[in-house]
Amino acid sequence: MNRNQLQNNLAMTVTLIMGSMLFATLFLGYAVYRSSALMWPPLGIQKVSLVLPFLSTLVILASSWFMYQGRLKLENGNLTKAMVDVNLALALGSIFMIGQCYLWFYLKSTGIFLTTSGIFGSILYGFTWIHAFHMIFGILSLVYLRFAIKRNNSNILQTTVNVEKFWHFLGVVWIVMFLTIFVL
Amino acid sequence: MSGGYNEIHPEPTTFWSTYIISFDHKVIAKQFLWYGIFFLGLGGIMALLIRWTLAYPGVPVPVLGSLLFSDSGGVVPPDTYSMLFTMHGTIMIFYAITPILIGAFGNYCIPLQIGARDMAFPMLNMLSFWFAFLSGLVLIISLCLPLGAAAGGWTSYPTLSTLIGSPGAGQTLWCVAIFLFGVSSTMGAVNYVTTVITLRAPGMGYFDMPLTIWGLWLTAILNAIFVPVLGAGVLLLILDRVMGTTFFLAGASATSGSGDPVLFQHVFWIFGHPEVYILILPAWGIVSDLLSFFSRKPAFGAKATALAMTSVSILSTLVYGHHMFTTQMSPLLTQSFMTLTMTISIPSAIFFANWLGTIWKGSIRFDSPMLFSLGVVFVFGLGGLTGLHLGTVTTDLYLHDTYFVVGHFHYTMAASVLLGGFAGIYFWFPKMFGKMMNETMAKIHFWGTMIPLNGIFFGMLMVGYGGMHRRIYNPFVYESLQRLIPINSMITTSAILMGAFQIVFVINFLWSLKNGAKAVSNPWNVGTLEWTIPSPPVHHNYDEIPVVKCGPHELGNPNLKNGRDFQYQTEELVEA
Repeated sequence: MNRNQLQNNLAMTVTLIMGSMLFATLFLGYAVYRSSALMWPPLGIQKVSLVLPFLSTLVILASSWFMYQGRLKLENGNLTKAMVDVNLALALGSIFMIGQCYLWFYLKSTGIFLTTSGIFGSILYGFTWIHAFHMIFGILSLVYLRFAIKRNNSNILQTTVNVEKFWHFLGVVWIVMFLTIFVL
Repeated sequence: MSGGYNEIHPEPTTFWSTYIISFDHKVIAKQFLWYGIFFLGLGGIMALLIRWTLAYPGVPVPVLGSLLFSDSGGVVPPDTYSMLFTMHGTIMIFYAITPILIGAFGNYCIPLQIGARDMAFPMLNMLSFWFAFLSGLVLIISLCLPLGAAAGGWTSYPTLSTLIGSPGAGQTLWCVAIFLFGVSSTMGAVNYVTTVITLRAPGMGYFDMPLTIWGLWLTAILNAIFVPVLGAGVLLLILDRVMGTTFFLAGASATSGSGDPVLFQHVFWIFGHPEVYILILPAWGIVSDLLSFFSRKPAFGAKATALAMTSVSILSTLVYGHHMFTTQMSPLLTQSFMTLTMTISIPSAIFFANWLGTIWKGSIRFDSPMLFSLGVVFVFGLGGLTGLHLGTVTTDLYLHDTYFVVGHFHYTMAASVLLGGFAGIYFWFPKMFGKMMNETMAKIHFWGTMIPLNGIFFGMLMVGYGGMHRRIYNPFVYESLQRLIPINSMITTSAILMGAFQIVFVINFLWSLKNGAKAVSNPWNVGTLEWTIPSPPVHHNYDEIPVVKCGPHELGNPNLKNGRDFQYQTEELVEA
């Protein structure tokens, strides 16, 4: 591993630790709210249907998979095929975001509101918003990566590895979110 | 892993790229220094206004009063008083100490002392400063709002900081400013951690790094881990204030599940306790180095000092509960937190003993950086000892939220860090600007700071022990506290004196910038890498990357034959 790679890997690791601490704090909050609540979901609120979040999980998993495939192909020097995979990952990431917007409308239609549904609504909207905000950065970095591959930048593999790590991180956070605030 | 990829960046040519959006770590360090000194002045003026109000309640503030509080005839109004102590804390911690100790010294010393040409990510470094700048701008704007700036204490506990307690936009802007500052800090942290690991000069192992770098490196690690925790906290607070969520609002409706104000305290202190070490670790590092340099002796137990600082950093993550003993925590938890807190005294005692061991029988030179370092040893000792009273549940229940706490954390965080920062400024000023500071003025500044400083903070310990609460506009409405008025006026007099002596520093700083004697490349006769190159260093620091052959504290070696009592890190260790 040369020094440039080491620097990039270290920086990405520190960045992911920072992201993990941010979301860990949110989940700590969730654990506190959940364990101190008398009943969950609180009285008068129905559990959210799992269909949409589950589909979102599948989409984001598939997106991560294509990102991984893309990096493998890039390692073998196959830029054209890698491009297809990165494009697919980007498309699936965007579909996930559309799904999230749909989820927010759906929540509203089932009577879960941001301001009047107490902590349940706060968690559902607040946490998914913060995740979606990070997704925007993820998608932007994928768009950047697309053009970097197209121009065949010098250290394209390093960029891809960094973007891939961040993209997987967002996927993992979503899965934890799906399991805690939707399934449990 | 060391050596190799350390390229020379092209020198900037325009004014804009040299001084404004500079990628050069030395320029960014200076930007942070000016930024920090500006806010230090602002926070200091706020402190004086607070002190005036406490010593002479209802008396108009001289000079500033008629300018700032014309509506109340020059008296600080109660709501403004809350705003003042909130902003004083926020500014001093995030906008004065952090930029000077971490921003300025971190940026300046890390590449120079490890023999690198720049940080690992120069552009990130530049962004880090400008995010800090933006954050400072938001904070200053919040001071000018019609309802005033944040007034819920620097800790911003809900419900004081929710819309119920602080209806104005000031608190929201406070949250935004802190979030932006967190972004800036974490950008810096990524850079520092990576730079120290990858860009050390060939031959420089971790224990060959100066202890300053150890302090800054540990600080950066703690920053990277814990600043995002506060980030999440203020993000939820912003959502509560702007979007109407109920994360920190309790009792809105029990059936729909209510939020939890105490959760914010947990989140805040999970960040907040490491934060106090984030602030003090660079000062510890600087002092550990300077004590050795000016005693002309190797640092006693340098390895143990580095490891002790590391253990304090690790332990600091496990003790946050001692800030919350009075929040109806279970006794099992309070006792665990108390025990863990007491454990911190062990590594602290180790490096403190090492400091004393370093100066023991040294040929001490009382130059201004040394005076300030010795000042740190004294005030940090007092601060550390008073911490024991607050870490113990039984005494903390009595002393909680009194001026004893204020005295304690000012001794540790304010006095130690301030004196450590001054030591650093006096020490590295020749390298930074190529000019020497005036030594006589520096010594006047030291004694003019050190004596009133103890008057202020020891006085605070006394009134706190006497039962005076923090954050009360006029404590003397309580008859039992009226006997504390004389001590309070003593504190205020000391504060005004100390403030006045800071003018000496500012004059010395500005005068030396222009008229100071030209600095030689190694005015203090020490051997760390930054002193092997001219003052100020050239744009790319090192024409050739140095090769390190010995530790940073090789002073007073009896085997040295060349008339020097120290050797550079680039020289082979002289043995008998």
